[in-house]
Amino acid sequence: MAHLEIDAVSLAYPNAREQSTFLALDSIGLGIERGEFVTIVGPSGCGKSSLLMLVAALLHPTSGSIRLNGKPVVTPGSDRALVFQDFALLPWRTVLKNVELGLELAHVPAAERKAIAQKYIAMVGLRDFEGHFPHQLSGGMRQRVGIARALSVGPEVLLMDEPFGALDAQIRQVMAVELLKIWERDRKTIVFITHDIDEAVFLADRVIVMSASPGRVIETIPVALPRPRPLTLRNHPDFVAYRQRIWDLLEEQVRSSLNWQASDEAPPLAPVS
Amino acid sequence: MAVGSGVTPLRPIVLPRFRSSNRATLLGILGILLFVGFWELAAQVGWLNPVILSSPSRIAVAFAGQWQSGQFVADLGVSLAELVIGFGLSAIVGVAMGIAMGLNRTTEYAFDPFVWFLYSTPLVALYPLIVVWLGFGFSTVIAITFMLTVIPIAVNTFSGVRSVDPSLIAAVRVFGGSKTDVILKAVLPASLPLVLAGFRIGLSRALIGVVLGEMFSSNAGLGFRMTVYAAHLKTADVFVPLVAFVVIGVVTTQLALLLESRLQSWKT
Amino acid sequence: MRLSRRLVVGTISVVAFLALWQFVGQREIVRSDLISYPTEVLATFVRLTSTGELGTNAAVTLQEFIEGFVPSVVVGVIFGVALALIRPLRELLDPLLTAIYNAPVIAFIPILVVWFGVGTYSKVVIVFISAIFPVIINTRVGVSEIAEPWLRAVRSFGAGQLQIVTKAILPGSMPAIMAGIRLGLGRAIVGLIAGEMYVSLSGIGRMIQIYSSAARSSEIIVLVVVIAVFGYACVALLRSVENRMGTWRSDLE
Repeated sequence: MAHLEIDAVSLAYPNAREQSTFLALDSIGLGIERGEFVTIVGPSGCGKSSLLMLVAALLHPTSGSIRLNGKPVVTPGSDRALVFQDFALLPWRTVLKNVELGLELAHVPAAERKAIAQKYIAMVGLRDFEGHFPHQLSGGMRQRVGIARALSVGPEVLLMDEPFGALDAQIRQVMAVELLKIWERDRKTIVFITHDIDEAVFLADRVIVMSASPGRVIETIPVALPRPRPLTLRNHPDFVAYRQRIWDLLEEQVRSSLNWQASDEAPPLAPVS
Repeated sequence: MAVGSGVTPLRPIVLPRFRSSNRATLLGILGILLFVGFWELAAQVGWLNPVILSSPSRIAVAFAGQWQSGQFVADLGVSLAELVIGFGLSAIVGVAMGIAMGLNRTTEYAFDPFVWFLYSTPLVALYPLIVVWLGFGFSTVIAITFMLTVIPIAVNTFSGVRSVDPSLIAAVRVFGGSKTDVILKAVLPASLPLVLAGFRIGLSRALIGVVLGEMFSSNAGLGFRMTVYAAHLKTADVFVPLVAFVVIGVVTTQLALLLESRLQSWKT
Repeated sequence: MRLSRRLVVGTISVVAFLALWQFVGQREIVRSDLISYPTEVLATFVRLTSTGELGTNAAVTLQEFIEGFVPSVVVGVIFGVALALIRPLRELLDPLLTAIYNAPVIAFIPILVVWFGVGTYSKVVIVFISAIFPVIINTRVGVSEIAEPWLRAVRSFGAGQLQIVTKAILPGSMPAIMAGIRLGLGRAIVGLIAGEMYVSLSGIGRMIQIYSSAARSSEIIVLVVVIAVFGYACVALLRSVENRMGTWRSDLE
């Protein structure tokens, strides 16, 4: 039995104005093993974030079920922790208090809370910034707080919704390496959403490629690259092959999601073979 | 829902008091002193009739008299009590209403017409109805104060709740927070700036309610005393409660602004 | 036909309220001389209008309002601009003006009546004083915020340039000025009605006072609605003036 099972999950939104339903996710089936690092790539609007919300139980599937350790997922809880793209830190709380949030909600006593929070703040390398407020930190630092917050509740699954999406390209790469280092320590199950194919391949044990809306799983690609993975791996021919393969799958999807209407004048760009 | 012009806080007017140089503060005090001095001079020299228009010196004398007889303190006590109770009630009910409307669309739509009506209508006109219902006295003044104050607080709280970043709410929920947790840990702190602005506006409205209520439907308090002195054409005496109201107005606004900046010190 | 949910729920809410009111009042579940009921209010409105009582008093109140409000806006804007552009003046007068702005202007009614009499003149003064302070202060703030970069230019140019600058500054600070006028409007109405209720020879406020002493709820309710409609009409008028001038409004308006 897989650690996290997503079983024929569909998500539909009723569209009141047009009297129709919008299908966001179409019968998604996934089994994620304990300790696996899974990344999900797909064009914008394909429902990847919604999938994560379903696992976190912030949304409920229209059909199908999601099970963690065999038990159905019904309400949000600290066994599935979420890291947000926009960090979602409470601006009026210090770094320490922000990281303590999950523990607070789980009614962990104050002294214990503080100790645990401090441990994870140190783990993400922000020990000297405990008393700072989010607006005093850079984007990368804020996301590290978000990661510390998620890890501090000791989740079974870490859900990451384009966590580096708001950071610039160079920082993203460094953050990816640091994330892997943190992950190596206790090998949590991670579901990581991204737009960036390189990031997806670099991080993952398996890459899940999703279609444009309504979102379906097109293909699952195991990434057989050795760990630990240095950044230079990105130039390795095997890596490049994975990237190309995923791009081949995605290009079609991305183009269709763009709704780019053909113009009469310029000829379409010839594909690079 | 249309939020009236009372929502925008007029920060820049009073902030200079805090961050201005000493020179500006001194000039300001000078301005007030000049005004008072000019008035006194005009009265002494005969440019204006001090019996009718009064003068700072006569007002000071009147104040001394009212103080010594204990009249002033008694009136002040009544007015302040009405202000505190009226405002306190409005704050509790107004915030609750604002949160309810902010979190639940149906509640918002249901309350909206009435809130809008009460917000735009000069509620001074409703006060006679309240007198008809409740008669004269302390509780009527409180009722009027409540009526005037609860709406700006509710409207501002509603606005604050609506402007909360949804991902903050999601963050609290994701870690297993209950509805109460969401309200206490995310919604209330995030909406605090607007709630406090609502309190500040409500406070000045509450003061108007106290003045109005005392002038028209009470037999105690500074407002009532003013009408008595005015009826006897004792102009100097009329100014004493009047100045007291001005001072209360200024002090309460400053306190409210101070509270606002203290509670948001994390922003700097 | 697509009905917005807001409209539907809102209308149901109002209708339910009116129905409940009608029921409770007409059946005397609560004494109808205390709370009246919609149909009685309507009948009273018709009566007051047909006898001309409402009309003549409303005309008096309206006249007092216009005579006080228009000058206060004009003077207020001019003074506000002056305060924004002339720093020593501003520093001298700001605390004084702020103090009066934060004070309940209603409290000035008794003394103003002593000075200006029980007739319409004192009410005009009340309106003027109630409206002018929000206008001055909001104008000052609006102009200051636009004018910061211009102020240096003003000082280096002569007085002749001032007009050009003012023509550029005023449109830019329009939203703040309009906000001030709106605030002044609210205060003016409150001051006017309160003043008329305090003592006067005629006007809506006086009607309210008379009927209040006689405990005639349905008349009072009619008058409250009249005032509410008047207030709403003024705000709507201001909004359309603002739109014609093509100004933008801040998010919170």
